[in-house]
Amino acid sequence: MSLLLEVNNLQKYFPVRGGLFNRRVADFRAVDDVSFALQEGKTLGLVGESGSGKTTIGKCILRLLEPTAGQILYDGADITHLKQRDLRRLRSEVQMIYQAPAASLNGRMTVGQIIGEPLWIHEQLKGDAARERVLELMNVVGLKEEHYYRYPHEFSGGQQQRIGIARALAVQPRLIVLDEPTSALDVSVQAQILNLLQDLQDQFDLTYLFISHDLGVVRYMCDEVALLYLGKIVEVAETEVIFEAPKHPYTQALISAIPEPDPDMQREEIIIRGDLSHSFPQHGCPFAPRCHAEKLATCETVPPPLIEIERQHQVACHLHPPISIAEIH
Amino acid sequence: MPELLNIDNLHLEFDTYDGVVKVLAGVDLKMQRGDVLGLVGETGCGKSMTALSVPRLIPMPPGRITAGRVTFNGEDILSKTESEMEAFRARHVGMIFQDPVTNLNPLFTIREQLVDAVLYQRAQGQKVPGRWRGFLPSVRQMRMEAHDRAVELMRLTGIPDGDKRIFDYPHQFSGGMRQRVLIAMALAGDPDLLIADEPTTALDVTIQAQILRLIRSLVSQLGLTVLLITHNLGVVARSCERVAVMYSGRVVEESPVRELFKNPKHPYTRGLIAAVPQKDISRGGLEGIPGMIPNLIDPPAGCRFHPRCEHVMETCRSAVPPAIPVGEGHTASCFLYPEDA
Repeated sequence: MSLLLEVNNLQKYFPVRGGLFNRRVADFRAVDDVSFALQEGKTLGLVGESGSGKTTIGKCILRLLEPTAGQILYDGADITHLKQRDLRRLRSEVQMIYQAPAASLNGRMTVGQIIGEPLWIHEQLKGDAARERVLELMNVVGLKEEHYYRYPHEFSGGQQQRIGIARALAVQPRLIVLDEPTSALDVSVQAQILNLLQDLQDQFDLTYLFISHDLGVVRYMCDEVALLYLGKIVEVAETEVIFEAPKHPYTQALISAIPEPDPDMQREEIIIRGDLSHSFPQHGCPFAPRCHAEKLATCETVPPPLIEIERQHQVACHLHPPISIAEIH
Repeated sequence: MPELLNIDNLHLEFDTYDGVVKVLAGVDLKMQRGDVLGLVGETGCGKSMTALSVPRLIPMPPGRITAGRVTFNGEDILSKTESEMEAFRARHVGMIFQDPVTNLNPLFTIREQLVDAVLYQRAQGQKVPGRWRGFLPSVRQMRMEAHDRAVELMRLTGIPDGDKRIFDYPHQFSGGMRQRVLIAMALAGDPDLLIADEPTTALDVTIQAQILRLIRSLVSQLGLTVLLITHNLGVVARSCERVAVMYSGRVVEESPVRELFKNPKHPYTRGLIAAVPQKDISRGGLEGIPGMIPNLIDPPAGCRFHPRCEHVMETCRSAVPPAIPVGEGHTASCFLYPEDA
């Protein structure tokens, strides 16, 4: 199995302007030194609260935002500095599906035009040939033929999301960045869309980067999960490991906060204090002010590096030091 | 013991250019004092409309109540005059909403908005003397008392440094803190009933857990009765004692929480629970409910769920199923269950 996507030390800072002449007075560190890798055919979940930088990472991978620093490798090739001309080829391989289905579809275009547009842009396909492909795609995502000439507002949220999925599939991508694809939908519809996404993954060998704040959905969809906190990855592991044996205090708190639809479920409820604040001490661990675990002296002074504590399980927390050489022997 | 709230066979319609939208078609709901009732359902099933008809906040026209009764503490709400309603809202019902941003005025400090809420409640819906009358000793005294009460409310809802933060503007608060401010505002009148309409939907899970914990602690501290509207079954499982499931303008199942999750009876409830991604569901094991919610202008006859139901029978297409007792305090509106069992 090969690596399809590799992200190394990705940073995205947004300027904070102010003062005289609207100078750049500070940086807002939306994504700060994030690295992960994604195997072909797998699903990686990016999880975090609002403001943790999930969507920014997704957009950097498609180069919809220019990364400040770092490197993005797609299929072994560095795409961090691709020219505008070469980007088109990249975007026929990497596509994105957005959160708000209504806002991501042009209300003045019919469904046929929306799904057909990428075919024209990438393959110069038009006329009957394009129409045939569009109908085929509509069939794949569960839309009916008579929907071809309808406008997005005539559809329900779930149907609109199907249109967005068909549009993304039109160029036969290998990697799809799914940015909260079901958070605007009701549960019964969400289940339909999640199942559709899984079927499509099996059918077309797709690789997903699944961005979500809903841990239940992530557990259902993903092979691996990366947890973000304030633009940094705090823990990465296989889905089972994250949910059964989370190591980082933030992961533990987040998982204990999922409301499970099971009133008998007894578990320790960790309520973390305060809320996400970007004014954390720049030197220490970003989670330190809200952390419920025992505090070490280094928590407030040294940022914890992301280190491998077991095979395929990385944690950025001072409480979990790397296994020393002596322990292995 | 008489119910605190009794909604009986409530029918609500809206006039639109496309036709009459039959939003509520016979909602029955009873709440005892001290209940924490979860009202669950998907978008457009009428859960907010049911709740809004208690303090009569539905604009009429275009809304129209065509049948049914709402009684609160034995008083008939639907026959009250508008000024009686204002006094009623001030004293008996507090409401919090989904979006804590749009429900606070960005131009006024929290103090001004909270003090207003307290004064409005004290005046029981009558006109509150304006701030410019503060030179009158009686008014100044009143406003100072209201300020103290506002700080007290902030302490009650867990806002740290309430005495200082009360002078801040809404944008200086985070989403969770704003929701706490709104809860404080809703509690200003010592209401009997708190209606929480998707109070945590706009919040992150960690903050959601904090707010739910706050609501639970208020229930035990103040003896509040809470009607919690949500689409999230997990939230219900965590915070409620009873649940009513709504589908397309009707309550289809009502039961104690544990019973509903262990032993759901109505096919819609079963579908809803099966659609939530949970721990033990493996890849491909999630079940959605086929089809879509019905059009409310021309809803299906009989049971409104029948076009999506896998157990559909001939009677379902023509007759509306009554609430049939299926267990201890558990009713389901479905013909699958014999009426006299």
